[in-house]
Amino acid sequence: MSTSEASAPRWLAALPAVLLVAVAAWETCATRRDATSVPGDDAWTAAEAVVRAQHQPGDLIVFAPAWVDPVGRLHLGDLISVDDAGRMDAARYARVWELSIRGDHAPEVAGETPAFEDASGDVLVRRYDRAAPARVVDDVRRHVPEVSPTRSVSDVYREVGFEPHACLELSVKAGTTMRVTFPKLQLGTTLVGYVGIPDVFERRDYRDPGTLSVEIAGATVASAIAGVDDGWVRFEAATTPGVAAVTFEVSTTGKPDQHRKLCFAAEARE
Amino acid sequence: MTLSTAARDRLIGVALALITTVVVISSQRDVGIARDEVVYMQHGAKYADWWTGLATFSHGLSGDSIGDTFGCRPSVKTCESTANNREHPPLMKTLFGLSDKLLDRDLGIVDEVTAFRLPSAIMHGVCVYLVFAMALALWGLAEGVLAGVLLALLPRALFHAGLACFDAPSMTLWFATVYAYWKCLDGRTWPWQVGVVWGLALATKHTALLLPFALGVHYLIVGYRASTPRWPGILAHRWRVIASVAVLGPLVLLALWPWLWLSPIGHVHDWLAFHLEHVNYNFEYLGHNWNAPPFPWHVAIVTTLFTVPTATLAAAVAGSTRWILQWRAKDSVDKARAPVLLLALSLAAAMGPFMLGSTPIFGAEKHWMPALPTICIAGAVGIVWTARRAAAALRVPAIAAIAVVGGAVAIAGATEVVTSHPYALTWYSAAAGGAPGGADLGMNRQFWGVSARGVLPVLDADAPPAGSRPRYVYTHDASPAWGLYQKEGLVSKTLADSGYEQAGVDHSSLAIVIHELHFNRHDYMIWKSYGSVRPSFVLRADGVPIVSVYRRDPLPPP
Repeated sequence: MSTSEASAPRWLAALPAVLLVAVAAWETCATRRDATSVPGDDAWTAAEAVVRAQHQPGDLIVFAPAWVDPVGRLHLGDLISVDDAGRMDAARYARVWELSIRGDHAPEVAGETPAFEDASGDVLVRRYDRAAPARVVDDVRRHVPEVSPTRSVSDVYREVGFEPHACLELSVKAGTTMRVTFPKLQLGTTLVGYVGIPDVFERRDYRDPGTLSVEIAGATVASAIAGVDDGWVRFEAATTPGVAAVTFEVSTTGKPDQHRKLCFAAEARE
Repeated sequence: MTLSTAARDRLIGVALALITTVVVISSQRDVGIARDEVVYMQHGAKYADWWTGLATFSHGLSGDSIGDTFGCRPSVKTCESTANNREHPPLMKTLFGLSDKLLDRDLGIVDEVTAFRLPSAIMHGVCVYLVFAMALALWGLAEGVLAGVLLALLPRALFHAGLACFDAPSMTLWFATVYAYWKCLDGRTWPWQVGVVWGLALATKHTALLLPFALGVHYLIVGYRASTPRWPGILAHRWRVIASVAVLGPLVLLALWPWLWLSPIGHVHDWLAFHLEHVNYNFEYLGHNWNAPPFPWHVAIVTTLFTVPTATLAAAVAGSTRWILQWRAKDSVDKARAPVLLLALSLAAAMGPFMLGSTPIFGAEKHWMPALPTICIAGAVGIVWTARRAAAALRVPAIAAIAVVGGAVAIAGATEVVTSHPYALTWYSAAAGGAPGGADLGMNRQFWGVSARGVLPVLDADAPPAGSRPRYVYTHDASPAWGLYQKEGLVSKTLADSGYEQAGVDHSSLAIVIHELHFNRHDYMIWKSYGSVRPSFVLRADGVPIVSVYRRDPLPPP
């Protein structure tokens, strides 16, 4: 033992060992506590009963954190349609149920105040009522048969940004531009859409972004760039209510002869 | 009869190794079959048959015979980079195959999967022994025992040791090389051990190629310290060790890998090129799915922080402090051979490439597992050092203080091990908040599809009776292991694999999704095909979903 060590106060010399024991004791307790910290099926069944008692057709149900989504769907998946799960976004839902654990919240209701809350169980149940949900006037997915060029887009259900989305997929040769026109889209006051690169392996193997722009009556009204890590990228344009031809122009970069996929969705809203 | 101290110590080390091996063997029985493991088992059996055929003169050394087993026939103009699993050296695969041949096929004393996995489990026991031996030789019995115990109580390492894969054996042979190198620096005339062991490490996994960087830097430093006149002496002071590594290492690799016999340089080039140009896996880390460089430089550090028991890491910090203080006081252990520097360089060489940002993402912590012995030895030194200081200060027997501190750290590690089983890839330490904390942090959920085993009984409930037409299951990442699960009786043979991707989903009546972020796409394919987002069962590890089961409603007849 060195001189400085020998002259240190006794408690100071013992402190490192005490700290080690304390860390070990904490870890022993914390490990078991953590392992049992996630609410089990009983808590979910209780939360499920709360939702089922008040659920109305058209309600959206979301779960937080995202990783608990499978458990939420196990209990309430029959109330979530495939289309609801693959929604463009949550703006059109008048009522949104959020079931959350671990103090987390779903991004769909970020910043909103719940109209109903049941915190009696380990799964927190909240309902958010929107006074003015977005009213969807039209949806590009309804117009696939009329699109020009014919069969240039496919109505698909894809993973974009690790989320499900019902969207229109098209394949574009790198370095070129593709124009897709919906000749008779009923417009409202806004056109809201999203674009992204579908499929994680597409995003891994081709790293260049895709670009989408929207033209109405020859003028570009909105555009968005979807990179491989950008997920589902929103675009929005103010529109004049009425029927119009709307063109989506899509381009990608990359090596010549590569064909790149992009997926987009758009709703005319009021 | 009384045992000599050396014999007693050896017995303690062997006991630690045996206990570790037995724990690994018994715990692996609950662990599912990993996707890549199936490939190693299949080719291991093939390699073993080739060697036994050679030994019994059933065949010779023709190029066709070697090519058919270890790569491609010489007449094949374009040999697939993965033909006969030639992208991985053969040592462990061959041992897996020999173990299966002897213990399962010939003697029938263990089941097939256990027989394949036994060599890896034994290697883990060997690693515990070697860690014990080095710490014992340098610091003492308490440090030796604790170092071995800490290594045995690493949940992820224990998990990997139970698979017929290369990662745990790679750690063993890496550390064996470090240990042999340190021993061989004693000036012995024939330091063959280090070269042979490094050759075995090379014949196990390509990451052993990083070791010479650690050994080289260490050799130069100890040579610099020891030599007068300096420059010639630096290289020459233990030149036989260098010669052993440079000559015997490659020769052992060559001897064990018949594929190299056909074209040593060309096939080594192919082997290394495969890994340098390796496809990037999808790997979730801190909430982001990484599958292209540049990767975060801190992956190895943060992942180690969350996958080594926190108390062990804390003890390692204490041990490192002890080493630094000794170095500053010019009181380091075994100054001539600088073992602490060697252990530090070993850790740096194991983790360093993963901090470059350009190294392909192959997966998680299993690739820098050779860093773990350094951490465990540092932990043992830290425990004993802090305990002795406390004992002196509190005037209690040192052995009692070591037992209390070491016991507390070991209990913490054991708690983590028990908690992690059998889904250790989903487990994270208390520092991360356990498996749920890991999920909150967006850490990788799992890989290789091992957790599918946990839903086999659920699927089996819908299996048609034996002899009936099969019902099809979208088995997803468990597809490679499906046949083996059926062979082991873990799932009925009337549940057949439905095939891949959307066609496989559409053809299936039951489906599973093994939850990893980049596997979400499988959920969505199933939802669309089944017309429902509701799983019929969700397997969880400490509350964290790891596998979902879907069932068509109504269930179609087989």
